[in-house]
Amino acid sequence: MDIAAEVLAGRVAAGARAIRWLDDGDLRGREVLRAIFPATGRAHVVGITGPPGAGKSTLVDMLITEERRRGRRVAVLAIDPTSPFTGGAILGDRVRMSRHALDAGVFIRSLATRGAHGGLSRSTYDATLVLDAMGYELVIVETVGVGQEELDIVRLAHSTIIVAVPGSGDEMQAMKAGLLEAGEILVLNKADREGCEATCRHLELLLHLREGGDGAGAWRTPLLRAVAARGEGGDAIVAALDAHRAYLQGSGEFERQCARRCEAQFLALARAGVLAQLQVRAGAALLEEVRARRLDPYSAAERLLAPLRAGACG
Amino acid sequence: MAEIPGRPLRILLAKLGMDTHTVGITVVAHALREAGMEVIFTGLKQTPEAVANAAIQEDVDVVGVSSLSAGHTRNLPRLAQLLKAQGAADKLLVAGGVIPEEDLPLLQAAGFAKVFTMGTDTRDIVAYLRAWWGTRGAPQPPQP
Amino acid sequence: MSRPQDRVSAAPEAQDVAQEAERWQAATRAPHVAAHPERREPFLTQALKWPIEPLYTPADLEAAGFDYLTDLGFPGEYPYTRGTQPNGHRSALWTMSQVTGFGKGEDWAKRARYMLEQGLQGLILEHDLPTTNGYDSDHPLVEGEVGRAGMALDSLEDLERALDLPFERLKYLMSVCNAPQPVNLAMIIAALEKKGVDTRDFVLHIVNGILIEYTCVGRYIFPPLHGLRVATDCIEYIIRNHPNWAPISIISAQLQPAKANPVQEIAFSMTIAMAYLDAVLARGLDIDTVAPYFHFVINVDMDFFEGICKLRAYRKVWARLMKERYGASRPAALKIRMMTSPTTIALTLQQPLNNIGRLAIMATACALGGAGEAMTTPLHDEAHALPAEEAIRVGAALQHIVAHESGVADTIDPLAGSYYVESLTKRIETAAFEEIDRITAMGGALRAIESGYFQRALGREQYQRNKDVEEGRRKWVGVNHLVLPGEQRQLKIFRADNRMEEEQVARLKALRARRDPAAVAAALEAVRQAARSGANLVPPCLAAVKVYATHGELCDAMRDVFGVHTPDSQLTGV
Repeated sequence: MDIAAEVLAGRVAAGARAIRWLDDGDLRGREVLRAIFPATGRAHVVGITGPPGAGKSTLVDMLITEERRRGRRVAVLAIDPTSPFTGGAILGDRVRMSRHALDAGVFIRSLATRGAHGGLSRSTYDATLVLDAMGYELVIVETVGVGQEELDIVRLAHSTIIVAVPGSGDEMQAMKAGLLEAGEILVLNKADREGCEATCRHLELLLHLREGGDGAGAWRTPLLRAVAARGEGGDAIVAALDAHRAYLQGSGEFERQCARRCEAQFLALARAGVLAQLQVRAGAALLEEVRARRLDPYSAAERLLAPLRAGACG
Repeated sequence: MAEIPGRPLRILLAKLGMDTHTVGITVVAHALREAGMEVIFTGLKQTPEAVANAAIQEDVDVVGVSSLSAGHTRNLPRLAQLLKAQGAADKLLVAGGVIPEEDLPLLQAAGFAKVFTMGTDTRDIVAYLRAWWGTRGAPQPPQP
Repeated sequence: MSRPQDRVSAAPEAQDVAQEAERWQAATRAPHVAAHPERREPFLTQALKWPIEPLYTPADLEAAGFDYLTDLGFPGEYPYTRGTQPNGHRSALWTMSQVTGFGKGEDWAKRARYMLEQGLQGLILEHDLPTTNGYDSDHPLVEGEVGRAGMALDSLEDLERALDLPFERLKYLMSVCNAPQPVNLAMIIAALEKKGVDTRDFVLHIVNGILIEYTCVGRYIFPPLHGLRVATDCIEYIIRNHPNWAPISIISAQLQPAKANPVQEIAFSMTIAMAYLDAVLARGLDIDTVAPYFHFVINVDMDFFEGICKLRAYRKVWARLMKERYGASRPAALKIRMMTSPTTIALTLQQPLNNIGRLAIMATACALGGAGEAMTTPLHDEAHALPAEEAIRVGAALQHIVAHESGVADTIDPLAGSYYVESLTKRIETAAFEEIDRITAMGGALRAIESGYFQRALGREQYQRNKDVEEGRRKWVGVNHLVLPGEQRQLKIFRADNRMEEEQVARLKALRARRDPAAVAAALEAVRQAARSGANLVPPCLAAVKVYATHGELCDAMRDVFGVHTPDSQLTGV
């Protein structure tokens, strides 16, 4: 089976296998990416994040329904943390989206962070490329985020939806710290709960303060209400996503972001590859010298980089 | 840490039909996570079609079905059939729960490699899966 | 009876005891333990995993702030720790009841008739899984389940057929059906009406316990907010229209297979009760009217003292909650109503005769803790899908042996004053209130369910308890201790009868063909309207069942408005 060709043809098993290779660090994944790369850059990547208990998965479930109603094919990457002690994980987000289990136009994939920080797995970006090449118009990436550490999603996605819930004091504090400043669409879920009005006003104030310095043509982050468990509010969110996509494409920002991501991925791969190469060549001996304090870290780094400076690397 | 660095075993745990007992599957899921595996749960009240689709989307290595009601003689073979039809016959199929001895040959013939009857020590389940994982051959080395 | 001067001198006495206890520990016990190491390290209670001290003394009561009059009082008086009945079990014993295993499909009507003819006055209506999950017998998801775990109840017609009974003998009917309760209730009321039964002369008891279903059993339909509304409609309808009926049972016992420890059992079941209470009170009824309708089913496990202390704590916690948080004043509102039972999770498939011993210990714990209104004994051998006559006889005899041969029920709350029992009871009560406060602070049981708090807590217990057995920290005879080599026993499962399912489906098709489709459609729309507007769902369901709208159709009408509950994975958060 030519996986790359199957991926371009939109075959689920092939796409799933390609994502697995990428997740496992299997070299075959790299080859698939090389082959499918030209077909990427079309999908609208949407990030969804927020504190635990905000109802993100239910919201995604609702969005899938709305997008399907508009005839779009949707893929979802649901990311949950790997246990730092055991390396295992329980990935349960797809439970909330089980009504779409038999829809051929919906692809749901669970990923574990596998030790990566920032809320995403190392393979997330590459996985979005696979789904993009398969022809999914919308790729939703769902992850838990509460503070400033989990902002990788914002860099990864074209549009990031931050999900909040009414009345949660501690969570509001955490979100103030950084997440609220980054999202392009703010959704107050479980809007039928007590404390909704107060939380709304609080969020509106934060958004207002944020908008302060922006220019006239800048995107204004909408604050939307939803009761995802009842399927309420999905229409407005999809409309906001469409509007944001149009805004990005109209201003050229869509392409610029894709370009930035490619660049970032290249640099990240290069960085990791170069470091690995250097470690292979320098070996454990240098590390031992540093540990034993026979060599200071600065000199050790110089020694490591000397071949590269001399152009001898590669 | 993980049993095989960078390449944990991925297993889909499923519950078919009306049976909503979750204690057994909860205990197994936690044990597998403690053993360094990635456990994907389908949720309750699933059909064989939905489970087969999930298994393929998630590209799992193992599909484990929990059954505490009488539907296993129909549901489980149907699931095996669907996986085979969609080119996923290389996934290991196991089942657990209340499954009478006399039904084991039927399930084996349908493609289930192992049935863990109620009361099986989770350490035995982990050992079995690890042993099988070991026979799958060395993974491709991580990229340099 | 303690004399007034005993109380005044308690403090100095306790101090002396504490000093002497230290002396005893250092001089007498420690050297002995050095030569004879303890057989367990550490000693912990079975479920709570609290350390068990070698010895308890009056100093422990002093340290716990124990006060006889505040903490215990007297039987039949607030706070009811020593019992809700003024004379304990000396006037009347608890009602002795038994799990019969009846209620499978077509057989129910035949057995019900037989039992009534034998002089029994009460029956339990169990429903099959399609029914309790809100589906008709021909729904694609339910193949193989029709009529297996109980009766298939697709329409009023099915119930009319099942209830073709000598009603003059039937005094009590219990219906076990949670999620689609208004549909089930409507069918029963309609069937009784048709039979001309005077409902004032007859008690219908519905379990109606949807919140426990969300927590750990799994037979739910709508999202929790709406599930609670649906249950409240049924409670309100019964209190207003059939005040002699029983509209709600909090079956804390179902938390046990989910491995809740006693503190969780009390806290989760109490906050769940409060969720129903608050919802019913919001409809204009008052606490003194409503609280007496609540009734708990509580199991004890093998840890003798955890079981006894839990039952005593249950009475005290309910009384305090009703008085302190709800301002109830009627004794009927302050006195918890409960039924107790040994738990089946303590029984083993292996060496089933051992279970008789286990049941005896647990039944004794119930009697010592205060058995409540009724005690039920499970069968000692669950490998039999239907009960063998001998198992029934042994279970019944067991209760009589405890009641008449052991003397434990001959004085009221005999373990009161035990240094260990009172320390443990008070500790359970305190911890339960802390947990209740925590749950209340997060918004109550409904929020706990929606956020997965209950489910995650139970998931952790399940994993940990299983590990305890696998790793030998918990010795379980027949399972990991004194195992009989080569013993092979399996749970028998009841096989569905395909013919039964086919007949049921055929009957359903025929019914649909016979009905007035316009009347059914209008009736279903009326149900949707009530669901939307917040009006009580029971009256429109009643009208709909009478034109033979089916169980599944009525549940679907409500699904249209409420949506469907797809919960978080139950498997998170160890």
